[in-house]
Amino acid sequence: MATYLEFIQQNEERDGVRFSWNVWPSSRLEATRMVVPLACLLTPLKERPDLPPVQYEPVLCSRPTCKAILNPLCQVDYRARLWACNFCFQRNQFPPAYAGISEVNQPAELMPQFSTIEYVIQRGPQSPLIFLYVVDTCLEEDDLQALKESLQMSLSLLPPDSLVGLITFGRMVQVHELSCEGISKSYVFRGTKDLTAKQIQDMLGLTKPAVPVQPARPAQPHEQPFVSSRFLQPVHKIDMNLTDLLGELQRDPWPVPQGKRPLRSTGVAVSIAVGLLEGTFPNTGARIMLFMGGPPTQGPGMVVGDELKVPIRSWHDIEKDNARFMKKATKHYEMLANRAAANGHCIDIYACALDQTGLLEMKCCTNLTGGYMVMGDSFNTSLFKQTFQRIFSKDFNGHFRMAFGAILEVKTSRELKIAGAIGPCVSLNVKGPCVSENELGVGGTSQWKICGLDPTSTLGIYFEVVSQHNAPIPQGGRGAVQFVTHYQHSSTQRRIRVTTVARNWADAQSQLKHIEAAFDQEAAAVLMARLGVFRAESEEGPDVLRWLDRQLIRLCQKFGQYNKEDPTSFRLSDSFSLYPQFMFHLRRSPFLQVFNNSPDESSCYRHHFARQDLTQSLIMIQPILYSYSFHGPPEPVLLDSSSILPDRILLMDTFFQIVIYLGETIAQWQKAGYQDMPEYENFKHLLQAPLDDAQEILQARFPMPRYINTEHGGSQARFLLSKVNPSQTHNNLYAWGQETGAPILTDDVSLQVFMDHLKKLAVSSAC
Amino acid sequence: MAELYVKPGNKERGWNDPPQFSYGLQIQAGGPKRTPLTKRVAAPQDGSPRVPTSETSGAPPMGPPPPSNKASRPPLVGSSPPSSTQPTNFPVVESETLPEDVLTPLEQALEDCRGHTKKQVCDDISRRLALLQEHWAGGKLSMPVKKRMALLVQELSSHQWDAADDIHRSLMVDHVTEVSQWMVGVKRLIAEKRILSSEEEANEEKSTATAEQNQTVPGIQQAP
Repeated sequence: MATYLEFIQQNEERDGVRFSWNVWPSSRLEATRMVVPLACLLTPLKERPDLPPVQYEPVLCSRPTCKAILNPLCQVDYRARLWACNFCFQRNQFPPAYAGISEVNQPAELMPQFSTIEYVIQRGPQSPLIFLYVVDTCLEEDDLQALKESLQMSLSLLPPDSLVGLITFGRMVQVHELSCEGISKSYVFRGTKDLTAKQIQDMLGLTKPAVPVQPARPAQPHEQPFVSSRFLQPVHKIDMNLTDLLGELQRDPWPVPQGKRPLRSTGVAVSIAVGLLEGTFPNTGARIMLFMGGPPTQGPGMVVGDELKVPIRSWHDIEKDNARFMKKATKHYEMLANRAAANGHCIDIYACALDQTGLLEMKCCTNLTGGYMVMGDSFNTSLFKQTFQRIFSKDFNGHFRMAFGAILEVKTSRELKIAGAIGPCVSLNVKGPCVSENELGVGGTSQWKICGLDPTSTLGIYFEVVSQHNAPIPQGGRGAVQFVTHYQHSSTQRRIRVTTVARNWADAQSQLKHIEAAFDQEAAAVLMARLGVFRAESEEGPDVLRWLDRQLIRLCQKFGQYNKEDPTSFRLSDSFSLYPQFMFHLRRSPFLQVFNNSPDESSCYRHHFARQDLTQSLIMIQPILYSYSFHGPPEPVLLDSSSILPDRILLMDTFFQIVIYLGETIAQWQKAGYQDMPEYENFKHLLQAPLDDAQEILQARFPMPRYINTEHGGSQARFLLSKVNPSQTHNNLYAWGQETGAPILTDDVSLQVFMDHLKKLAVSSAC
Repeated sequence: MAELYVKPGNKERGWNDPPQFSYGLQIQAGGPKRTPLTKRVAAPQDGSPRVPTSETSGAPPMGPPPPSNKASRPPLVGSSPPSSTQPTNFPVVESETLPEDVLTPLEQALEDCRGHTKKQVCDDISRRLALLQEHWAGGKLSMPVKKRMALLVQELSSHQWDAADDIHRSLMVDHVTEVSQWMVGVKRLIAEKRILSSEEEANEEKSTATAEQNQTVPGIQQAP
């Protein structure tokens, strides 16, 4: 193991885990002085092409309060056929199937390379995947057509034996009965009345005995395993009828008077969808996919009235407590999200409209259930169509990259407790000896439910060191954490992924250098950012920024090298060197700054930030900038206005946007048409290179980002200019003496000024 | 195998809409990657930018770019050559695909299914094949759709169910507007034909198995 960087990378590849600290301070007091909490980013289902699952069940520790899973860190007595749990030290007998066990004949779960292992559970019923489409029909013709085609197309992408259902809504909500016979029937609900789960199930005839609604249907006792199969049918059976049904969907027939918004009963439609699945497939993986082209305008969950002259709430309205519907709507969707989560169902929202659609109020639907939130301008865009297609992408084994109904369980050594988690999950409120009283994120539990997840879904898990000060370093010198993820694989199998990791303890007083060298600044930045964004959801923006600043100053005080009161002497070691600039860019990011973003946009950005893996999260915090020139291969450059040069092409990736920017000279050359002259073929290649690289990113990114091609002086150059560090502004341009780079017209603080202040504060004895 | 092309996004409806990748390219996305562009440069600790290194800085902007022979071609970041990114010009028509080349085998396949598959399903498929014929005759189908349908039929005839299904998917993704109405019939036909042939195989196996069993029966009886 040459360096910590390699160690960190190997661990991430093998276990999907990145810790903020890779050597742990051995006492509670010392741990709090480290400023950045002991925490990790966990990608529970990280893709592991080299890890075939084993076809048997895990062996559990027999202590009822522990139940940790046998792992490579356990001590094994091969002669006595005993193993000692590394969490509670209980001695356990191996089950009879392990009779042949010996030093040379070990089961996989004891081998060090299987610190992450996946078990396939053979017991229990296998249930199909379920997809319930909830479709807004108050769309423009062009949009509706595009959406209908995308939905028809999706029938070809779905697993053939999955169940699919359809609810459409406008002023009314229609639940469509899917049958193989030619007649299509639907149940119609008013969009203004909130219904309880019981009422919905009664009206749909889901409760037994079936209550006849509408004209009674002749009973069909034969070959109907579920009552629900009237609404949820296997794709392979009803694909033809559903294709026709989708093809025949019309725009909402109710006239929309001038100056009004169409009446959209989104709140009731989602309520019915949740109630339908709750009554028919509780605790089975299911995906409610809500497609909406505007805000809910009537009934429970309405976000704005139908008068067009009254605009939808803005940040300004919210600050002035002038968002009439917000609280009530939020409450409605929170109630639905919690019910869906309790049943293991996830809710996706695909919102395509030019104005806001109410994502702020509805965000809990996706955030609590692990659903996707996608925001586009129209269903007739490649952004929506391809994002939607990619939901159904497959892995190297031909399995869908989606999993359902996961329960993540965390177990810790005695010196550690669990403070909380931040990610697309809900608490399962499982108390226990390893649960801390101090909460970070969603705490007070050792288990969380993640109803929908994919191989990149990532949670931040926060810990607390509880050993007393001056207590000796625990036996074995290492602390351990076990992550156990039970989930429904897309092949409908139940599986359990187990990851057991350990790190060394160190005495922070005598071994601070070890702890310092094992700091993972990238993971730390993302974990702190998640805490900040989590706070931003409930606190005022400036408070969060102040908190982040204070943490950064304290970290610099602790780990910087400096002479008191001498800012020029301040230095940070390599393992901390990038951290301040991550914080600088985080402060400017749309996750903490709402200026220039609508409440919906902020909700959407934060949604993605709270579920992506480390690499993607870091791109969101500090975008990547590459420079292309005639002087050599493309190279990463500082995200700084000084990198904007006339003879360069820049490629910037902010996760949500891919920007290609032609410098002034390059743009002029292009206008002059040099790329078309054979003697300047190299210029043509130079123009092409960033396009090819951008394409590579676009091809893999989920959701599809916006794609911006711009040049010096172009109006869209603002995307680049607003992200780079404004080291040159109109205020200090001539101080630089040399006229290079591009001055940014801003009064924002630059990284230089930020660093100057940081150093001053860090070396000051006043704070 | 599938079409590989990128077409521009819908800039009219979507602000900065990204380009659209064909099904074939989307599938490839999971494949080998070029070096990911995820490197960052650390700012110096005082936060000030290093001196920019624009070699041509100060040069009048209107000078021509360095001609090809002087500057070498800028290498790409990634190690492998870029995937074909130009919209592929659809190859010049070598031979016109005739509607009956596609329809006759499909109808034949449907005939094979009759008697095994529910009548209603067969009628539904038949209705969609008629729609396909109508669209084809009415000139509503583009060349790539016709060509890929011909391929699909070939795969179907040689019992390559997965391949045929994959072509159906690529057509649904890349040309949904053209094919959505009738393609689902073809999809169903592939599925029914697959079931039928696996049943036939199973029957054959069963009959051979029974035959074998019959042969072994005396042996068993002889056993003590």
